[in-house]
Amino acid sequence: MDWIQIGIVAAKIGFAVAFVMSIVPILIWGERKWSAYIQDRPGPNRAQIAGIRAGGLVHVLTDVVKLFMKEDVQPTAAMKAYWWVAPLIPMIVGLMTFTVVPWSSDFAIPAHSFGDWPAADLTIPMQVARINAGMLFILAFSSLSVYGIMLAGWGSNNKFSMLGGLRASAQMISYELAMGLSVVVMFLVYGTVRLDEIAQQQAGSIFNWGIFAPTGFIVGLIAFLIYWTSVLAETNRLPFDLPEGEAEIVAGYHTEYSSMRFALFFMAEYAHMIVGSTLTVTLFFGSYNIPFLRPETLQANIDGVLIALGCLGIPVNLFFAWLAWKRRRRVFYLSIRPDDPRQKEPKFWVAVWTMAALASAGLAVLGISRWVGMHLLAAETAVLLLHIGMLLVKVMFFCYVFVWIRWTLPRFRYDQLMNLGWRMMVPVAIANVLLAGIWVIIRETFLA
Amino acid sequence: MTQQVPGPEMTTGQKFYVREVLQGLWITLKHTVRNVLNADENFTIIDYPDVKKVMPERYKGAHRLTTRPDGKVKCVACMMCAQICPAKCITIEAGEDPDDPVEKYPVQFQIDMLRCIYCGFCVEACPKDAIRMDTGIYEINGFTRQDLIHDKAYMKDLKAGKKPLAEDWYREHPEDAPPGYDVKAPKLREGY
Amino acid sequence: MPTVKVNGIEVEVAPGTNMIEAARQAGVDIPHYCYHPHLPVAGNCRMCLVDVEAGGRGPDIACNMQARDGLAIRTDTDNVKRMRRSVMEFLLVNHPLDCPICDQAGECRLQDYYMEHGQHHSRLADEKITRTKRQDIGDLIILDADRCIACSRCVRFSDEVTKTGELRLFNRTDHTEIGVFPGTRLSHHYQGCLADICPVGALTNKDFRFQKRSWYLRAEPSVCDRCATGCNIDVDHDHGEVFRYRPRRNDAVNKSWMCDFGRLSYKRLAAEDRILTARGPEGAEGVDAVLAGLAAAVDAAARDHGDGSVGLVLGTRATNEANWAMLRALRAAVPGARVFLVEGNDPDAFDYTDDLLVHADKNPNTAGVRLIAEADGAVGDAEALRAALADGGLRLLLVLADDVLARLGEVRRPEALAFFGTWANATSEAARWVLPLAAAQEVEGSFTNFQGRVQRLQPAIPAAGDSRPGQVLAAGLARALGEDALPAGAAGVFHDLAANVPAFFGLSLAGLGAEGALVHREPPTEQVAPPDTRPAP
Repeated sequence: MDWIQIGIVAAKIGFAVAFVMSIVPILIWGERKWSAYIQDRPGPNRAQIAGIRAGGLVHVLTDVVKLFMKEDVQPTAAMKAYWWVAPLIPMIVGLMTFTVVPWSSDFAIPAHSFGDWPAADLTIPMQVARINAGMLFILAFSSLSVYGIMLAGWGSNNKFSMLGGLRASAQMISYELAMGLSVVVMFLVYGTVRLDEIAQQQAGSIFNWGIFAPTGFIVGLIAFLIYWTSVLAETNRLPFDLPEGEAEIVAGYHTEYSSMRFALFFMAEYAHMIVGSTLTVTLFFGSYNIPFLRPETLQANIDGVLIALGCLGIPVNLFFAWLAWKRRRRVFYLSIRPDDPRQKEPKFWVAVWTMAALASAGLAVLGISRWVGMHLLAAETAVLLLHIGMLLVKVMFFCYVFVWIRWTLPRFRYDQLMNLGWRMMVPVAIANVLLAGIWVIIRETFLA
Repeated sequence: MTQQVPGPEMTTGQKFYVREVLQGLWITLKHTVRNVLNADENFTIIDYPDVKKVMPERYKGAHRLTTRPDGKVKCVACMMCAQICPAKCITIEAGEDPDDPVEKYPVQFQIDMLRCIYCGFCVEACPKDAIRMDTGIYEINGFTRQDLIHDKAYMKDLKAGKKPLAEDWYREHPEDAPPGYDVKAPKLREGY
Repeated sequence: MPTVKVNGIEVEVAPGTNMIEAARQAGVDIPHYCYHPHLPVAGNCRMCLVDVEAGGRGPDIACNMQARDGLAIRTDTDNVKRMRRSVMEFLLVNHPLDCPICDQAGECRLQDYYMEHGQHHSRLADEKITRTKRQDIGDLIILDADRCIACSRCVRFSDEVTKTGELRLFNRTDHTEIGVFPGTRLSHHYQGCLADICPVGALTNKDFRFQKRSWYLRAEPSVCDRCATGCNIDVDHDHGEVFRYRPRRNDAVNKSWMCDFGRLSYKRLAAEDRILTARGPEGAEGVDAVLAGLAAAVDAAARDHGDGSVGLVLGTRATNEANWAMLRALRAAVPGARVFLVEGNDPDAFDYTDDLLVHADKNPNTAGVRLIAEADGAVGDAEALRAALADGGLRLLLVLADDVLARLGEVRRPEALAFFGTWANATSEAARWVLPLAAAQEVEGSFTNFQGRVQRLQPAIPAAGDSRPGQVLAAGLARALGEDALPAGAAGVFHDLAANVPAFFGLSLAGLGAEGALVHREPPTEQVAPPDTRPAP
């Protein structure tokens, strides 16, 4: 392995970390804004930079400043080592599990693209580590995150924290089983545990997606429902956030944490949401694949795709620009002082959307230029970006579903949680595995 | 021993939660979409510091001390308000005014707005209509506890929108500030 | 003994009792304004109208109706209720609505009876007749003629009790007005009583004016300590802060009166010259530390110079218990200690005496200390103390409460002086050890007044600062001297006192009663065992 390859891996690690960490603040903002819209509120709208409030995004910045400046209160009676190490674990685990997730088809650099490099055709797998354990690696690692919560609960030396930790561990064990069984269905259907291979098999028609268990329909749907419910429980999100049930146990396992230590727990929750969404997308919703466009097809017709995207983007962005311009007449802008910096907000948004429309036009021009003749590498890059963009769109949709469910459903009672896990989901998951096995046998035997 | 309160019996379909969950999600989705497309009309909130609500006439806001035509407060320090106050937040020091036919007046009249529960008993108990809560002022705030002790000079003839917050008032009128109040660097009152 | 019936309840009362008192004995309250048990009957308020059932013709006023056999009255008939309502209406016709600024509010008969019997709306269509408000008629009294209901209690008080006769009712009918003669002022020293007896707020106390609404005050029984009469008082305080003294009825001592000097002496409880902390040679210290230092000095003096070098001066201003406990403590530890009693008035005593209440002796407990001294048998007088100081044999002198140095005048000062007192004076200035003694209103104990009447003191308010009752200080001193067996509680000390002082034989602190108990004039030759009323340990 030469330095270039080490550099490539380092770049991929950097990308994986950046992918997760840059979505976290957007999710925090989204959680607030979407919940507000669900509840007929405007949500965060006070913090501003030079009059631009960016729909409340600035609040995330102020949060970061606040959390860094806050006093780091350490309970004197806490068990220092456990208490200190606990917030790191969920964050590390969240980032680790992302290493085996593919975010695009392989990126090929033809030989001698840059002078005499590369010497032979170079294929770069678009995931940090292409290991044979694949999904098993993720299952193994995601189980570890409960250690962070348990250590926090035990190390805080606080009854509420302790109860939170206990609840978390019992909940994790219960739902991991169902989650594993629903993943087994995907292993059976695709015949592999490697996520990149699963992703490749889902290319093309959406009926290749895991949720249709390539045409085993009901099997994939049940597996998805069980998997998604388990992911909610594994990430300690509502309706399964009993480890931090405010009504009963203050804030559960992170009662004693403040400042950036609390922020680590907080960010880890969102990191887990992102990883959970990514895995859901990868297993059940076609991974990075654009529906009905195989990577090869996409690469072959990249110019047409770009022109289409650009032409679609221009009117959409112009519509939003028009919407922003219309909003300058809102009651709000009429009621604040004329010299208030926030008065220039509508103009700002008009400018932003107009620029986005121009960018779309640029995309179309890029597509037209392909007719004139574009380097093969550029096409590869465009495909890579489109795949990552597709993945991002899908991931963000499932992150939204996370939030959506949180602000819709009430919290389960603990006995309901356990009943649902052990009496409902595990039996159904086992039956589903049998069903999937039967379906695979039928498929292999009669339809092959 | 906990007592099991029987709830409605769930059907088998309900026990799987799926349909019920989807119903709930549908409701919240409708709200979200409606609000994203057309935010302002659906919100029942007010952009508070920029837009301020005008309170109804009978809203119980900050207290004021009413005055007689000669400009003195109507209060005669009879202690009825201090007596009825369930939060015991009214402190009155009575004194004799030798030039006034009404003889008795409050030398000091303080309401600790931090303790006040806005029940309005003081207004009802007052035999002289000397205290009212009709200012409509609901922004009763300050940076120190001392800021929130409204005294006679501040409450005298207080009307909605006529006077600033107590803290600003005391800065501009140091002579009105309660005893021991440091205008430049307000300190916490002793005993807190 | 005539037997009368009130609302059907038969009571036997003393001859000469009027029907208000008789009804009170039967448990029936008859409302009244002008009647006062210690003033002559005037019968001009008409509030006490009752129906006479038998033995006379009615309706009639109960205050002027002497109990006689066969007399039966009713106060619960509709007729009586109607009469009271009508009388209230008359009284209130011209009464100003001053309640918010009136000091009497809360203890005003007019308010009470209006709520009980009146409750009418005014039918007066004309202007109310107004009279002069806020007249300064005395050193302690403000007169508001507008509020007056012309009950004439104050007129009778100044005529019959103080016999100064300054107050009169002037004019006629609705214009009747109370007042002093032009150019005169109240001149007697019982002005506070006028504010007390006024059933409305016409006469108010200048000192108490606007200080506190009466319903915030709690009254605790106590005894005035400003002269040998020992007037019974109510200590009116709000959470320990005393606002006034009021006379408490004791027919055997002060009836319903007290002098202005005693009335204003509540200020001495929070006076600046109050001794609030113990002081030793090194400056302010804890009480126990100062007592320990004093005990060491007593021990050293007794060891080095003989028992006779230690002396104690009993205090005519301290309680019986403080004196007795102190005497016992010193006698137990230093059997040969010399004890003295110096009578006389301190410089801070007020200079006024009359034959009504104010006694020439301004010490509350001279009689009691005399009896203790008699029982001890070895107590020297002022001359003996002077002699003992002059020859220098007395090296350490313990002084209880009295300003002994001022009473003695020019004498040779003892080498070391310890003072147990409530207020700073010449003796406390000269003392090496000063211990804070709680004031009479703050302690449990008893005073013996000039009549020989032992009157009980109960703590009305908590003791100020570090100050403690005399018996507690004495017990602390005894402990520091190695004597642990002496009682420290007031009941225990009084029990001990009653067992050892013949004049107190048979008395107990709890058994003194509301009026007090007289000591034995001629001491019984045999000891009468006092009842043991001490609480079980």
